[in-house]
Amino acid sequence: MSTLSVQDHGVVHHEDDHGQHHHKATFLNTYVFSQDHKMIAKQFLITGITMAFIAMILSVLFRIQLAYPEKSFPLMETLLGRFAPGGRLDSNFYLALVTIHGTIMVFFVLTAGLSGTFANLLIPLQLGVRDMASPFMNMLSYWFFFLASVIMLSSFLVQKGPASGGWTIYPPLSALPKAMPGSGMGMTLWLISMVLFIASQLMAGINYVSTILNMRTKGMDLWKMPLSVWALFLTAILGVLSFPVLVAGVVLLIFDRSFGTSFYLSDIVLNGTQVQPYEGGSPILFQHLFWFLGHPEVYIVIMPAMGISSEVMSVNSRKPIFGYHAMVYSLIGITVLSFIVWGHHMFVTGMNPFLGGVFMITTLIIAVPSAVKTFNWLATLWRGNIRFTSAMLFAIGMVSFFISGGLTGIFLGNAALDINLHDTYFVVAHFHLVMGSAAIFGMLAGVYHWFPKMFGRMMDERLGYLHFWLTFIGAYLVFFPMHFMGLDGVPRRYYAFTEFESMKQWLSVNTFITWAAIMSAVAQVAFLFNFIHSIFWGKKAPQNPWHSNTLEWTTPVEHLHGNWPGEIPTVYRWPYDYSKPGAEEDFIPQTVPLSQTMSSNLPHDFEDNPTGLEEHTKWANTQKSNEEVK
Amino acid sequence: MMSQLQQEDRLNLAPKKFNMWIFIFTSFMFFAALTSGFIVYIGGTKAHTMGMKLPDIFLYSTAVMVLSSVTLFMASRAAKALQYGRQRLYLLLTILLGVAFFAIQVYAWLILLPGMGVYFSNPNATQSFVYVFIWMHLLHILAGLLLLGNTLWRCYRSIEQVRNLYSMQMSSIFWHFVDIIWIYLYVFLLLNQQ
Amino acid sequence: MGFKNLISSKKILSLLAVFMLLGTSMLFAQGTESAGATASPAADAVKDNGLATAGYYILLFLIVCFVIGIVGKILRVFDLTQQIQGKEPINWNNVMGICCLIFLIAGGYAAYWEFKVHGAMILPDAASEHGVKIDEMFWTTTVLTMIVFVITQILLFTFLFRYRYNAKRRGHFLPHNNTIEKVWTIAPAIVLTILVIFGFFTWQKITDNVDAKGEPASINIDITGHQFAWELRYPGKDARLGATNYKLVTGINKLGINFKDKYSYDDLQADTMVIPVRKSIRLNIHAQDVIHSVYMPHFRVQLNAVPGLPTFFKFKPTITTAEMRIKLNKPNFEYEILCNKICGGQHYNMKKIVRVVTEAEYQGWIAQQKPYLTDKVKKSLNFAAEKKEVQPNRLALNN
Ligand code: HEM
Ligand SMILES: [Cu+2]
Ligand SMILES: [Cu+2]
Repeated sequence: MSTLSVQDHGVVHHEDDHGQHHHKATFLNTYVFSQDHKMIAKQFLITGITMAFIAMILSVLFRIQLAYPEKSFPLMETLLGRFAPGGRLDSNFYLALVTIHGTIMVFFVLTAGLSGTFANLLIPLQLGVRDMASPFMNMLSYWFFFLASVIMLSSFLVQKGPASGGWTIYPPLSALPKAMPGSGMGMTLWLISMVLFIASQLMAGINYVSTILNMRTKGMDLWKMPLSVWALFLTAILGVLSFPVLVAGVVLLIFDRSFGTSFYLSDIVLNGTQVQPYEGGSPILFQHLFWFLGHPEVYIVIMPAMGISSEVMSVNSRKPIFGYHAMVYSLIGITVLSFIVWGHHMFVTGMNPFLGGVFMITTLIIAVPSAVKTFNWLATLWRGNIRFTSAMLFAIGMVSFFISGGLTGIFLGNAALDINLHDTYFVVAHFHLVMGSAAIFGMLAGVYHWFPKMFGRMMDERLGYLHFWLTFIGAYLVFFPMHFMGLDGVPRRYYAFTEFESMKQWLSVNTFITWAAIMSAVAQVAFLFNFIHSIFWGKKAPQNPWHSNTLEWTTPVEHLHGNWPGEIPTVYRWPYDYSKPGAEEDFIPQTVPLSQTMSSNLPHDFEDNPTGLEEHTKWANTQKSNEEVK
Repeated sequence: MMSQLQQEDRLNLAPKKFNMWIFIFTSFMFFAALTSGFIVYIGGTKAHTMGMKLPDIFLYSTAVMVLSSVTLFMASRAAKALQYGRQRLYLLLTILLGVAFFAIQVYAWLILLPGMGVYFSNPNATQSFVYVFIWMHLLHILAGLLLLGNTLWRCYRSIEQVRNLYSMQMSSIFWHFVDIIWIYLYVFLLLNQQ
Repeated sequence: MGFKNLISSKKILSLLAVFMLLGTSMLFAQGTESAGATASPAADAVKDNGLATAGYYILLFLIVCFVIGIVGKILRVFDLTQQIQGKEPINWNNVMGICCLIFLIAGGYAAYWEFKVHGAMILPDAASEHGVKIDEMFWTTTVLTMIVFVITQILLFTFLFRYRYNAKRRGHFLPHNNTIEKVWTIAPAIVLTILVIFGFFTWQKITDNVDAKGEPASINIDITGHQFAWELRYPGKDARLGATNYKLVTGINKLGINFKDKYSYDDLQADTMVIPVRKSIRLNIHAQDVIHSVYMPHFRVQLNAVPGLPTFFKFKPTITTAEMRIKLNKPNFEYEILCNKICGGQHYNMKKIVRVVTEAEYQGWIAQQKPYLTDKVKKSLNFAAEKKEVQPNRLALNN
């Protein structure tokens, strides 16, 4: 056995350091300061969805600016006041919108909202655990996240507006309050919010890793874990190892901003004449620290979506996931490699060209495990019996987007090509497809799939279909044309395309994209309505609505603290025995021992179990001789 | 039923200890990032050097830190041998040494370094880094002292042995780690001085 | 059961509608109030503050919601009647399978259309020597990835259609197949290796900035970004640029040129970046305040301008502006420099025209450019120079 011992499934109740032996259910400790992982998952989900809607509205605002750069919308002034004088967005506020949109989507929605929801929900439920290693820390993690969200949003209330240096907050722009309005108080709030956010993610991640390694139920060895848990596990490891690096970067930035140090600053003259006292610092240093987190971060975003989609696609194709081991190894490969590719975001910073070459090699290597995953998904669908639930559709959409967006990564990872593509709309298209769309679709797939588990009711499938098709088509309409804008050398983060003759040809395309974006945004109302309506009035969910194998569906529909009323079930098989030949039904839950399914067992099931294999062959032989007798 | 649940809960402390280990990884990454930042900074141009010698005081603080690890080790041993009196004594000693370390570091930061003309706000960021290392490490020391204090307090309340040991182990893991981190930072600075 | 749902959800819908309408009318009231407060001096000229339009769109949205709700109900009723009559209800698996197929076909056409129409709007062929290599790489990569794109998307959506749910069938139990998995690990690995090798050498060649022996020396041009413009500096007859130091920056000496350096005496200012065709150009890139990025898409040139970290990019333009105008059939065409790193509110408007000309034209042009060392500067320097001790040059230190 490895060092990763299987801890016996002790009944973990709630953190009990102070010896309080009672646990009265009050509104406050059930819904607000709950330590129950299921409630925390719901809190993360609902906060995440709220933040996603806010960030989406921000994006619509700046899309309107791009579509109608010369037009004035008095309504904007009514709504935004000083940020939209004369009904046109202020160019600094445009950048603030872009920045906060990016920050919220990447960190608050796709990191906390995605991992927070599904790790909290699925790790204990799919591994047969009563609660997280430290439920108290888990609760704290949510409330730190909540606080971070509130602070991030509150930056809209400060006089000069929120941080506006882009979600990557490169100094000196972000370090010098005089460089732009958003680098004053807004940036300070951004930094505070992010420090709290990172604290939240670290607490959460530590809990996930520890729970997975120590508390799995009997029989649940690592190779019997569903891919969703594998993905969440590796995601948590990535987060735990990379977020502290961002803290280091941010701490130094705070010192530069407020204490006059020169870590990142050097040779600066503001406004043409104001010579600044900073000397010797290196802005590139910040970029190294940022992207050392930043690149793993994008995989923190996509890996849970991959895991969820794998799970959903296997269940709904009624087929085992193809190449389970390859799927896990490619996730591991991605995890390891993602630590050594960060330099591909810095090809044109003037970094040592040789280093650029090295990063280019590592970057293109990371595309291999990504390709393997894609092919395995396709093979999973092949000759399946595909049920189109809403969750399934979103999982499929995730695959389609991942292909489209991943392929453009191959262009960008090539340092020579990146010279002309860096910071253009090509990059915008790349990461919105692969992250903005693929990861969001993975998240939505998870919401539709596990909604019955979270709320005990079903979502409306047909509204789900509507939501899927509008969003799917809308996202392609929005992001596909952006590739060509990038190839025409149109830079990102431009407030208007009117100043350059060469860009004017894209004005009409921008209008089109904006309307497509508005359509997709409106389509989200179908989701919101479905979500809220189903929480209260949805059809009551059966215990195992999707005929799924994994453990979470063996818990009762009504939630209870500790998940299983009696003993925690033992696990006997991997989670993907769908449509196994010889089995009565097209699924065999993980809790069914092999001894109960003699007719469907395969020699393969006994790989590390010689006695079992012996019995199996014996049984097979008697079957054979029986048949011969007949 | 309920009380039985509680009973099992108390024994199931291993995952929480594991949490501590992971936190240590996290914390290590943080210091690794800071020192890498230092290296990138110094490697940037030849003009960047620390331009100072570390004062000897850090040698003393390092000695104090190591000593505190030794006493903490003794406290753990005593706890395992059920000698609570000695455990308390050694714990107290560790805390005192920790406070002494804290005081020395604060002295170095507030009086000694500025006296040498090494300021935090400084065009030479390597010297600023020295301050950052000290501060970030002191934050950890503070957390460690709180943990140790908690352990000592529990020890006085004479809780059951399992939890006493658990608490001892948690603070030991953390304190030894903080010790090692300081040694790492100190050696790192020694290697890079001048 | 179904009917109960029907009633309750309709209630919700109408509730929502009422809520929205109420909200709109409230917005109206607010809007007129504030519009009245702010726009009073500007007279009643600005009557339409967009609220009517917004209200119109909201109404439209509500109508759409309503129609969707009705269609939903109709479908449900249809389903129920089918069930009551013992007939098959709508088979959504089939519907979705067909939708997937339709999406594949329509999407395929849309992608083709995109490539044809928007694909024709991209940058023309590279106008620099190394750019041609980049373009070659680009097209190779495009062909390879588009093949993968088309095949995988077709497989994905045809599988969905072909293997849609059928109660009579079971999935094919296929947990893994080592051979095929090896194939599709190794195949992309090989393709990527090829791309990496080519990319690596191209990259090395582009970034190898040392002037080769025997080759005539590159023309040095300094370009400095600040909020929000680019400044150019050409060397004079001595073909060398004088040293600079940011501490010397003043209102008249915008670039902080060190006029104690004799090479700086004949350094020239320029508004447009005029460069001779087929001559190697070395752009020395500086920034004064925040990071900018020199981006010349037509030449496939981009490099960040980082304060405190001077960088340079060497390239050789191959097509003059005049030739390009003919080639593109755009008589007003100009090459441009854009800023491509977010740098503040006017980031979108940091433009510099680049004009590629023949050698003769270049010589004629450069002879007319004014030096940085104007009489005004000379005067102010004469008494400033004695007081100020000039710091050593950082550019030299950094390289
Ligand atoms: C197939 C593997 C991938 C490769 C080879 C790849 C490569 C790259 C490269 C080289 C860049 C830098 C482009 C530039 O700024 O010039 C980039 C940007 C980016 N990628 Fe990827 N990528 C891949 C997959 C992903 C995934 C899975 C995600 C997220 C889920 C992602 C998210 C991003 C983001 C957010 C950026 C832009 C960051 C910014 O500048 O704001 N990429 N990618
Ligand atoms: Cu990356
Ligand atoms: Cu700029």
